[in-house]
Amino acid sequence: MKRREFLECTAILFTGATASQLGFSLSEEQRVYLAAAPSYIEQKARYLTPQQRATLAAMTETIIPRTETPGAIDAGVPRYIELMAQQWMNDEERAIFDNGLTALMNEMQAEFGKPFEQLDEMTRGAVLQRMEDAVSDHPWFSPGSIMGEGFISDTPFICQVKELTVFGFFTSEVGGTEVLRYDPMPMQFESDIPLGAEESSWSAGGFR
Amino acid sequence: MNETAVATDFDAIVTGSGITGGWAAKELTEKGLKVLVLERGREITHGVDYLGEHAPDWKLPYQGKKPRELYQADYPVQSGSYAFNEATRHLWNNDRLNPYHQDPDKPFNWMRADVVGGRSILWARQSYRWCEQDFNANRDDGHGIPWPIGYRDLAPWYDYVEDFIGVSGQAEGLPQLPDGKFLPPMGMLALEKTIKQRLARNAPDVTLTMGRTATLTQEHQGRAACHYCGPCHRGCSTGSYFSSLSSTLPAARKTGNLTLVANAVVEKLAYDPVSGRVAAVHVIDSETRKRRRYTGKLFFLCAGAVASTQILLNSSSAAFPRGLANSSGVLGHYLMDHYSAFGGVGLFMDNLDRYFHGNRPNNTYIPRFRNVGGQDEDADFVRGYGYQNVPVRSDWFFTMNSRGFGAELKNRLRKPGPWMWMMGAFGECLPYRDNRISLHPGKVDRFGIPQVSASFQWGDNERAIDRDMRKQGDRILKAAGAVMNFSNLSAEPAEQPGGSAIHEMGTARMGDDPTQSVLNAHNQAHDAPNLYVTDGSAMTSSSCVNPSLTYMALTARACNHAVKQLAQGWV
Repeated sequence: MKRREFLECTAILFTGATASQLGFSLSEEQRVYLAAAPSYIEQKARYLTPQQRATLAAMTETIIPRTETPGAIDAGVPRYIELMAQQWMNDEERAIFDNGLTALMNEMQAEFGKPFEQLDEMTRGAVLQRMEDAVSDHPWFSPGSIMGEGFISDTPFICQVKELTVFGFFTSEVGGTEVLRYDPMPMQFESDIPLGAEESSWSAGGFR
Repeated sequence: MNETAVATDFDAIVTGSGITGGWAAKELTEKGLKVLVLERGREITHGVDYLGEHAPDWKLPYQGKKPRELYQADYPVQSGSYAFNEATRHLWNNDRLNPYHQDPDKPFNWMRADVVGGRSILWARQSYRWCEQDFNANRDDGHGIPWPIGYRDLAPWYDYVEDFIGVSGQAEGLPQLPDGKFLPPMGMLALEKTIKQRLARNAPDVTLTMGRTATLTQEHQGRAACHYCGPCHRGCSTGSYFSSLSSTLPAARKTGNLTLVANAVVEKLAYDPVSGRVAAVHVIDSETRKRRRYTGKLFFLCAGAVASTQILLNSSSAAFPRGLANSSGVLGHYLMDHYSAFGGVGLFMDNLDRYFHGNRPNNTYIPRFRNVGGQDEDADFVRGYGYQNVPVRSDWFFTMNSRGFGAELKNRLRKPGPWMWMMGAFGECLPYRDNRISLHPGKVDRFGIPQVSASFQWGDNERAIDRDMRKQGDRILKAAGAVMNFSNLSAEPAEQPGGSAIHEMGTARMGDDPTQSVLNAHNQAHDAPNLYVTDGSAMTSSSCVNPSLTYMALTARACNHAVKQLAQGWV
């Protein structure tokens, strides 16, 4: 057995073997060994209507499309954003999200006579670019404004979706392992190695 | 009050199981004493309870975005730490359940763990020796009182502690940063090598060295070398960094002399005026609320500066109406932390074709270079500061507000961007009498114990240090070849509340003069010879280097002293 497998297995085994002993002092929530838990997006989202889901999914795929590598839908980003709207946003952010999505859906019907998801790729990109340009003076665009895991509460709808799409994609299993490079157990630190022009960053989870 | 008197034959009772409590447990048990360790946090087991270890982003709640409302409600203070997130929250103190009072105009962040092992699980592991100048500073410039010990007193104990914990680092031969017994240093990134070369030419007064860290670069004392997964604060089941759980508590347990009781909130110590000794410790079980009283011969307070001082203040008696061992009246005063600020954040376009593999849990260090050996002519402050430099190869995390959409955006975001080099600085903080903790006159916690009340503000010397940190930071970034410095040189110092560096210390300081200090040169209370306080509260000044290594050395030295005193019948 390789060292990496050993480490992963012992962690899981230990947890299984001692969960009952630990139970008295740990809450249900605390008892979860995160590495053995299901992925965050492996839970039912129940916030959006099917129509809203279709539009949101098309937005995320327009932001990060499938190319020679997987895209936002492949990585479960639509589910991620719906869960975040359902579980994580505060009331103010949720209202911006709801109103923004409704407004986009109404505008598309008025302007094109069909929903966003049925537009061709170029038009979808142009619509999002137009939305971004309309709010381009927002502090969200300031350098470094969104570093970290926070969120600016009055962030406009298009920026909400962009931030959560990019964040949700690169922190997903698909994005983290198939688009970025992922090595959870490097075993050594190579401080100075070549970087090819087309090579991806390491998955950013290392320091959190 | 229903209290069970526990008849005990403990030779020593240690309050706290963190970085110093673990050392006291190890030293005292290895010298043959029967030791009881009391920890107010819950029991956790090395390896088993590191619930966030090795969890990838996609398994974290919200994939790593922080649940802000929960943090605001339950963890408003603790969540300010870089090491606080959903992978570590179960190790931290709940602020709502464990309130303390802060002067609204003079706030103080009290960061606490809530588990066996304490903050030794969560610490940043940087390990630096104090130098002779640090110990002489109070005497030489008149701030605070003189230290009762010098570097030569502590040097062998630094050796002793480093031998056990394992510190990787590079010897540099600098008087202001004495070398230790090092494991091989971690490697420098291409950018760091470039910066080091440029500084050697353009700023030769500045040394850039690899951080000295209690993370193993090779197997040591039965613990495995680091596997470079990255976030040490989630816990390390291979014990590759030093913590009480991975190192000192197992060593203490091996002797057969250790009893560790978790969920044990120490309310106060009982002083016996006839013998002139501490006689017992009063404990409340945080789960059952049952009260117990343990008797013993030696008492070590290792609960962290604020908590140890709280216990002493709450242990008043007819003999010590202002708090146990407080005949001097200085207990609770002279609270210090390190002044932390960014010296600068540089953007670099060098070495863009070089990269790394593995997550180095360590940064480079620029040791103090101001007022070394004497006062610099151009310095409008005393003492000094050092920089801990975080290199970041920018990626999507830093640039997700990039304009545009589609394949081009995706391709841009997936690749590494320019380097950033963030110069985090720690500056020495002077001891001020008005910076203090006391017991709140009205508020009690859920155990009925008077709450800590904290009041802290930085002084003119720290503000002058802040300005110099940014001025010199800008000089260093230019010398290093940064194409841009993001920090604002002309802005007023952006002061963080005291405690934010999590280097709180002072409040039961050491000194030769019993009218000016709480502890003597061996961390022994002037007023009660069987009482030792060996955590940060003992500090008489703060230096500018990370303090934990010094706390450990002081603890080991104090244990040696206490056991000799016990053998000779003095305590």
